[in-house]
Amino acid sequence: MDGNVTISNLEKVYDDGSERTTAVEDLTFDIDAGEFVSVVGPSGCGKSTLLYLLAGFLDETSGTIEVDGTPIDGPGTDRGVVFQDYALFPWRTVMENVTYGLEEQDMGKEERRSTAQQYIDMMDLSGFEDNYPKELSGGMKQRVGLARTLAYGPKILLMDEPFGALDQPLREDLQDQLLDIWGDLDKTVVFVTHDVEEAVYLSDSVMVMTRHPGTKKTVTDVDIDRSKSRADIITSDEFTETKNEVWRSLREETQSGVQP
Amino acid sequence: MSNVNAGTATALPSGVRSAARFVFDWIPLAIVTLLWEFASGTAVPAEVLPAPSVVAGEIRELLVTGEVFSHLFISLFRISVGLGLSIAAGVLLGIGMARLDPVENFFEVLLALTYPIPKTALVPLAILWLGVGTRTAILIVFLACLLPIVMNAYNAASDVDQNLVWSAKMMGTEGRRLFWKVIIPATIPEILTGVRQAIPIAFIALVSAELIASNQGIGYLILTAGQVGNYPTMFANIVIISAVAYFAVRGFEIGRERGLVWT
Repeated sequence: MDGNVTISNLEKVYDDGSERTTAVEDLTFDIDAGEFVSVVGPSGCGKSTLLYLLAGFLDETSGTIEVDGTPIDGPGTDRGVVFQDYALFPWRTVMENVTYGLEEQDMGKEERRSTAQQYIDMMDLSGFEDNYPKELSGGMKQRVGLARTLAYGPKILLMDEPFGALDQPLREDLQDQLLDIWGDLDKTVVFVTHDVEEAVYLSDSVMVMTRHPGTKKTVTDVDIDRSKSRADIITSDEFTETKNEVWRSLREETQSGVQP
Repeated sequence: MSNVNAGTATALPSGVRSAARFVFDWIPLAIVTLLWEFASGTAVPAEVLPAPSVVAGEIRELLVTGEVFSHLFISLFRISVGLGLSIAAGVLLGIGMARLDPVENFFEVLLALTYPIPKTALVPLAILWLGVGTRTAILIVFLACLLPIVMNAYNAASDVDQNLVWSAKMMGTEGRRLFWKVIIPATIPEILTGVRQAIPIAFIALVSAELIASNQGIGYLILTAGQVGNYPTMFANIVIISAVAYFAVRGFEIGRERGLVWT
């Protein structure tokens, strides 16, 4: 299966001419195809930088990122990004947003619409095909964002705090929806969040990043029975233990940054 | 049906409400017109301030005889071409400056220096280059409208949401396609705001140019009527061009609202 990510000695230094800031340093990490990995860390630890490096929006200073053995070269359709602020095209309807990536692959109009419709239905957006983003709630916008990304078929989903702007019940709905999709579609997911519970609930493993500069601190495997309901998972001992382990690791980082 | 409660008493049908709104909007103009009517011939001699009723009669005369239309047509032609050229050049320049550093470096100082120049001050020079007539009027309209359009396009194109551009790139949009599929649609609302600002400026520039450098057009009619002391005709032409400018702006605003359902 495709969608393996190999990160080796990755370093990213921002240089604005007068000041050099190391955002990511000496990061080596492998993500297997189909794996769901969350990245948590104190704010400013470079977790978004890491995601944008994976997306190809930023160029690494040194080190390499490979997807299935090939170094990435800028943005590409093998990966898809879901943004916290949705980044929908406001001048396009829901349908037109979802067909965008297919247009760029020169797919015919009929095929485009029927493919898009599948993902619109999957994300419970039926009936809103002709609405513009401004007419949708935050939760619906993010479902359009997901549908748009899934529609053009990337192997790897890169998600930058995608549910960060939503309130708790909506977050939970979308988390479960994401898990369903992930189970069905065999995607590799890299999920950036600052919410430990969200990270543990969704992931196969959770990477905690150090404060500054950002690098891999701990990787915690999550071993929970996903056939159970949310309520059963959240209250289970395995879940609580894993969550505490991640939380303690993260806590050390947030504490270490507090100046006396 | 008599189940009218207190709430519906104020909830008039929208047609009635917009009609009422219309009346309220025009009351100030009605008051000024009335005062003017009374002042003419009493506080001010009627020869130098002809009454609105007299001006209205003159407008009717101009419209019925059709005398004004050939001049109005010429004026509108000059506005359309001048404004059209400034939109084409202004949008390209504004977006170019925002997205390409060399373009910005080349034009930044140039635009900053020419911005404060009253464009009508260039009419004598324009006459020297292009002679008296349409080409000079078009040039002045073009120059006067260029900056608001450039500035709006420039600001909008500088502020295009980075995530929109990244999303498009992720899905395989590159180079010129990125320009057409993302940058242009994302900047259209502000471009249209610039055009909206430019329309009244276009009329101001046009009439100013025609007053000095034309043998045709509404500005020319205003000047010649004024020179021979035919003040009712002068006022009539001023009212006609003002009304045309007003409807041009309103029509544009309505069109923009209909066109930009997604904003």
